[in-house]
Amino acid sequence: MKGKLEPSERQKLIEEGKNLKEGLVTLEEDLVKLTDELQQEAQCIPNMTHPDVPVGGEDCSIIRKTVGNPSVFNFPVKDHFQLGKALDIFDFDAAAEVSGSKFYYLKNEAVMLEMGLINWTLSEVIKRGFTPLTTPEIVRSSVVEKCGFQPRGANTQVYSIEGTDQCLIGTAEIPVGGIHMDSILSESLLPLKYAAFSHCFRTEAGAAGTATRGLYRVHQFSKLEMFIFCQPEESDSYHEELIRIEEDLYSSLGLHFKTVDMATEDLGAPAYRKFDVEAWMPGLGRYGEISSASNCTDYQSRRLGIRYRPSQPSSTNTKKGKGPTRFVHTLNATACAIPRMIICLLENYQQEDGSVIIPEPLRPFMGGLERISPKCS
Amino acid sequence: MQTVKLAAIPAAFSSSCFMFRPVTKTLGLISRRNHSQKPPFRLLARAFSAPALQTIDTTDNKGGVAVKPQWKAAIDFKWIRDNKEAVSANIRNRNSNANLELVLELYEKMLNVQKEVDRLREERNAVANKMKGKLEPSERQKLIEEGKNLKEGLVTLEEDLVKLTDELQQEAQCIPNMTHPDVPVGGEDCSIIRKTVGNPSVFNFPVKDHFQLGKALDIFDFDAAAEVSGSKFYYLKNEAVMLEMGLINWTLSEVIKRGFTPLTTPEIVRSSVVEKCGFQPRGANTQVYSIEGADQCLIGTAEIPVGGIHMDSILSESLLPLKYAAFSHCFRTEAGAAGTATRGLYRVHQFSKLEMFVFCQPEESDSYHEELIRIEEDLYSSLGLHFKLLLFLAEL
Repeated sequence: MKGKLEPSERQKLIEEGKNLKEGLVTLEEDLVKLTDELQQEAQCIPNMTHPDVPVGGEDCSIIRKTVGNPSVFNFPVKDHFQLGKALDIFDFDAAAEVSGSKFYYLKNEAVMLEMGLINWTLSEVIKRGFTPLTTPEIVRSSVVEKCGFQPRGANTQVYSIEGTDQCLIGTAEIPVGGIHMDSILSESLLPLKYAAFSHCFRTEAGAAGTATRGLYRVHQFSKLEMFIFCQPEESDSYHEELIRIEEDLYSSLGLHFKTVDMATEDLGAPAYRKFDVEAWMPGLGRYGEISSASNCTDYQSRRLGIRYRPSQPSSTNTKKGKGPTRFVHTLNATACAIPRMIICLLENYQQEDGSVIIPEPLRPFMGGLERISPKCS
Repeated sequence: MQTVKLAAIPAAFSSSCFMFRPVTKTLGLISRRNHSQKPPFRLLARAFSAPALQTIDTTDNKGGVAVKPQWKAAIDFKWIRDNKEAVSANIRNRNSNANLELVLELYEKMLNVQKEVDRLREERNAVANKMKGKLEPSERQKLIEEGKNLKEGLVTLEEDLVKLTDELQQEAQCIPNMTHPDVPVGGEDCSIIRKTVGNPSVFNFPVKDHFQLGKALDIFDFDAAAEVSGSKFYYLKNEAVMLEMGLINWTLSEVIKRGFTPLTTPEIVRSSVVEKCGFQPRGANTQVYSIEGADQCLIGTAEIPVGGIHMDSILSESLLPLKYAAFSHCFRTEAGAAGTATRGLYRVHQFSKLEMFVFCQPEESDSYHEELIRIEEDLYSSLGLHFKLLLFLAEL
């Protein structure tokens, strides 16, 4: 229509233009709706699975490694709840009044134990190249979703804050993943290895009535979490590194445990592969999960928008310095979940008189304390 | 979808009749901040999302409605009446909106109604006793009538008594604590400096603020936290993490030496416990975060769960004093502080804190107050800080 035209020619083109425009508007609306619906459905598709992961339910999981043996006691073994009561290091009753069930106060040596565990674990992982971090414990719910959790699902594990679009974190994995959201990292920065300390909050909805007293399942706890951002080709090997670090830590503390390659039905949407460490808890008479190490490949990074720019040899540069970006891979692993560790230490190191020995590596981080002794009431 | 919640005071007694009405009076609870007589209009709850409020009209029809309280402070009304001048002066000095006149009026009324109730009960018992003996049918009939009237009268009076007691309780709980005689009266500019330690450090180079320093040292991240959580949130990194842990470890060992029992506490507590400590979880501009779908809040200080540790208890004297050093994360909305142009760590929504808490006998609290401030002065001097100690004013 830019050229010189007869009036009738022009009029025909104007009509044509108008029809095309109306058709386009309708189609563009359809496109938006389709794209939104496609996005919503596709986001439900779980991450792919590592070929070595066993297929099936809980009983299909494979034991990768066993370390140590169940301790042998020549006296009746107590559980951590009983031990803690006699040692005056917990209070569950007052917490039930003040907050509700599955809350607790730690007192006296249990406080030293928590601080010793955090201090020791942090120094161990810093030695292995992890950057220490503390994180927000209130985050936007969109960030929770992007990490693969469902804040508003039925039986959600996530506490929401009233009157806001914010939630409490159930793990530092969330704010750490979020630290680089919507970013393009330069390749030279990778791998980024963080050790994040935070309090964690979980509703444990759907776990009511699971008759475990004490610290095994609680609404609030302290945890040191390892998190890695890396190049895709390296995530398998960093997964191995993370589980090795966990195994080293728990061996150093003298725990008996097995490392399990979790079967497909236990993976949860984000994980490509997940290794759990289950430690022997003699008071409970069974193995209990003390840590979990997941390789989430690009599931979280595609949602959080975390990319890196691979460095390219200069001859293949079409535009100056701008190659295509790729999504990073993310991994997370528990370095220390305080309540489960306290259970393991109390139950495994209990003595006949009700006292508990502190394992050597922790003593320098607990002012030299060697033993927790019962208090005379 | 956000759930809108009405002030979550569940009805103290169950009823199949739920009424949804705007509550025009804030809960008459001990207010940490000045409590206004005409609090803001509250939003209605959706039927499925919040417990209903039972609303009761006051007998005086003052236009406000009293809410059945979830808990009651043990208030010494007689002491208030016997010391009303001192209480009134204190209310004035503290700039509080508590209504002492109303409290005294309600107390008198309540006493009178209580007397009537007692008298009617006596009469009813007398009638019941008379009916035990041998009586003429007409006599018996009269007594039955009399008994019936007394009973009806009693029921009405007893209902009035309950309403009066609730309203009295609500009003009296607004009265602020009494004040130590040495506390200066007035606003912020009237506070007294008790002590000064050290001097401002002298620098022979341009001084930077913590925000600038932290950025260059790569020990904070506020930008990422603003994306992930919002403003006034932060990550600590590298040596700042060691600094936090060092401070906590050191301070804890110092206070343990001074006889304090270390504690970690729940950071989610029932909102009633928050109120009982003197905070207003659901006031306008509240500092308190609430949990959606629950009658729970996040703590702004470990003072709350530590105070709650012994709630509804009778402690043996030999246990006192109880001295706790409680470590917790603290969460504050800082509502009303928006726009105070302070960047960095000065005013944040979440932080770690070690708090000392003492339960003691009444005669000893002044001296434990002195002990606590001495401990603080020792700690901060040891760290080489320059500071001044202010005696806080009545208005706050």
